[in-house]
Amino acid sequence: MLHLVTAVGILVCAIQAIRSRRLIVSALWLAGTSALVALELYLLGAPEIGVIELSVGAGLVTVLFVFAINLTGEEAADLKGLIKEPLAVVMSVLAIVLLGVLLVPGIDRAGPSVGEPALKVVLWGNRQMDVFLQAVLVFCGVLGVLGLLSERESTPAEHSLSEDGE
Amino acid sequence: MNLSVPNIVILIVIGLLGVGTYALLTVRNLIKVVVALQIMVKAAMLALVLAGRLQGQENLGQSLALTVIVADTIVAVVGLALAVQVRRVVGTLDLSALTTLRR
Amino acid sequence: MAMTWLTLTIGLPWLGALVIWLAGDRDEKFTHLLAVAFSVAAGVAALLLLPYGKERLVYSLPMGGVFGDFTFVVDGLGVFLAAIATVVGSLAVIFSVDYMHGEGQLPRYYAFVLFFIGGMAGLVLTSNLLLMFFFWEITALCSYALISFHNDDPKAVAGGIKALIITQLGGIGLLAGALLLYAYTGSNDFHVLLENPAILPAGVLAWMGFGCLIAAAAKSAQFPFQTWLPDAMEAPTPISALIHAATMVNAGVYLLARFYPAFAGVPGWREAVMIVGMLSALLAAVMAMVATDLKRVLAYSTISQLGFMVYAVGAGGVFASQFHLLSHSVFKALLFLAAGAVIHSVGTRDMRRMGGLGKDMPVTRAVFVIGGLALAGIPIFNGFWSKELILEAGLHENPLWLYALMVFVAGLTAFYTVRMISMVFYGEAHPERHVHDAGNAMKVALLPLAIGSLTTWLLAGPFGHLLAESLPAHHLEVHSTLAVVEEVITAPATYLALGVVALGWLAGWQRRRLSRVGQALSGVGKAAAESFGFEAINRGVVNATQKLAEALRVTQPGLLNWNVFAIVCAFLILLASLAVGGR
Repeated sequence: MLHLVTAVGILVCAIQAIRSRRLIVSALWLAGTSALVALELYLLGAPEIGVIELSVGAGLVTVLFVFAINLTGEEAADLKGLIKEPLAVVMSVLAIVLLGVLLVPGIDRAGPSVGEPALKVVLWGNRQMDVFLQAVLVFCGVLGVLGLLSERESTPAEHSLSEDGE
Repeated sequence: MNLSVPNIVILIVIGLLGVGTYALLTVRNLIKVVVALQIMVKAAMLALVLAGRLQGQENLGQSLALTVIVADTIVAVVGLALAVQVRRVVGTLDLSALTTLRR
Repeated sequence: MAMTWLTLTIGLPWLGALVIWLAGDRDEKFTHLLAVAFSVAAGVAALLLLPYGKERLVYSLPMGGVFGDFTFVVDGLGVFLAAIATVVGSLAVIFSVDYMHGEGQLPRYYAFVLFFIGGMAGLVLTSNLLLMFFFWEITALCSYALISFHNDDPKAVAGGIKALIITQLGGIGLLAGALLLYAYTGSNDFHVLLENPAILPAGVLAWMGFGCLIAAAAKSAQFPFQTWLPDAMEAPTPISALIHAATMVNAGVYLLARFYPAFAGVPGWREAVMIVGMLSALLAAVMAMVATDLKRVLAYSTISQLGFMVYAVGAGGVFASQFHLLSHSVFKALLFLAAGAVIHSVGTRDMRRMGGLGKDMPVTRAVFVIGGLALAGIPIFNGFWSKELILEAGLHENPLWLYALMVFVAGLTAFYTVRMISMVFYGEAHPERHVHDAGNAMKVALLPLAIGSLTTWLLAGPFGHLLAESLPAHHLEVHSTLAVVEEVITAPATYLALGVVALGWLAGWQRRRLSRVGQALSGVGKAAAESFGFEAINRGVVNATQKLAEALRVTQPGLLNWNVFAIVCAFLILLASLAVGGR
């Protein structure tokens, strides 16, 4: 029952995040989605991942969104899409139906439980490469943001870009 | 169709993917694009945890979900930084204005 | 201990690249100093690693259950090529101190040079095919960045992109090989394959073998991919030395030699390798005979000499090919760096505008002549011994017509070497020129190489044992230096080859008197100057690709919504086909 309520909550939040006109409201609905996904993860028996999703997805990312929206200023987000509305609806519904046809039947059979090491062993032992690459990714992300948010205006590439844009 | 836990989760996954797809098809604001990507990534995360559970390899699925969280956060951070910079340089967040690379 | 030297050999150049990049463009002298320090230290580490080569040590970095281990193997072939890459590389760096004096953006230059050297060392020391692909791509990237170092010169940029694209083609072959190996054995370690090629089905092995040949041909600028190397001459001259002697082009020959045990049994593979080598050697030698750009002559001679090595691998002479690789990297680095000193001083690469430089640049002339004699295969110099060993390997149960052509190419080599030396250093001097001899840092780099060109053949015995003991799958037969010398001296084939070389030498010296023959062959000369139509084919491919891209531009509106639309369409088609029939 709790699962069902969470599921409905997640979908409603997601739809609201897309539908709402104001960016800041959109970001808050996204935070709601994230928090409910974290709850669902907890219910699925993945409390560690749930906690991380809650703090990072619902916390950190939302702060970033608010920060970014403050920097860019609220912009009327009601521009018409470049693709006609009905076409977009048809494509999304087709995707949903096809995925449903493919995935839903047979999802119920539980696989045999293979004796598996604990999460930290899997994470630090078997998926060592992942952890390593995550560290690299975080490093690259930080470097990228530092480069992007630096205030200097004088590099030639940026300069020409701004000339072209105006 | 009975509403067992895996069924509910797979419905969430499919629903989130559908919403995300629709959003990416229609949205023109760069920050909204990041929102849409976030929604789709949540679906991937849930799907990984569910798949691990169904295969009896819960921890593998969870550690992959963790990787997804990290990657997803970096995508959000870089995407938002890009949006800020685009706004500063081009003066708008509208995607259709970003055509400087086209001749 | 070996582990430490191994880590330092690969790690020091990379660390140096990072430090130089971070240190930035503050003080020119400091940048030079850093680069020299790191490259020399890496060279020393590689030399200290050499004695461990015989023991064939294996180091694995566990990377989790999915990727397998990242394995490094210290064996003869690996340590020897790593030593060449780092030692010759460090000499090129020392030479750069004079050559790049006063140039801008030095950190970019040195960071890529060091990254290049480290990548090459990694490439030859790993035994994980996927990791090898990774290093392979690093060398391709660095060669691109360095060839186009003068990125305001469109010719340099075009040359760099050409090198990048052609070597990428080869990289695809290597990646496919790695994936096939993983699919059939469940690991990326190629030693399993070398010890027992039968673990792969014959058809798959043949695909891998020919893929490997294409990869090697693209990397080592062999037929039909030879066109990128001459265009790479737009790079600063130390980079040419680095690419030609120390790193890049050796990788292809290394690949063939490394995988020889696996593919030798594939029907037609050895013949194909020999023919590729012969064609490259022959065509490039003819082109070198008519080229007038000093660096282009050297570039063609590199292709030609690499052709000799590839031919040797195909003929079963793995030791001979690696021995020639050693000789070649020493004398070709010498020739390039000496040519760099000449170009630096004269300010042109056109040999017709040189001439008579010997009087003003005695040291450069001396070392250049030593390098030239080694290239031509004149006795006592290292090129002689290794080339004779290759030709001898060609006589063992291999087609005689290929052997005959290779001997002929040895004669052509002598011809173009003499032509080059006499055009640059002898003849009439141009009066209004002010030239100066090589600088001190240049001399520091040139002298060891000149001594090496005279002496590295003495290492034949130890080098052979190093290879034979650590490469059990190759079944090499080696002898002591003395026995090798005896073998070469007593073989009648040596005198045949020497006779042809002498003829070529004579013809080169007296080429004015042969002008009538030259006129008779002017058609061949013209074709060679046009690089036998390969440039035209290249241009055709480029034009076709560009036209296709222009036509496809319509599909790229550059608007996110439409891009996502296309992605979703493809996704829906995939899902629909799965829903209909895939279950």
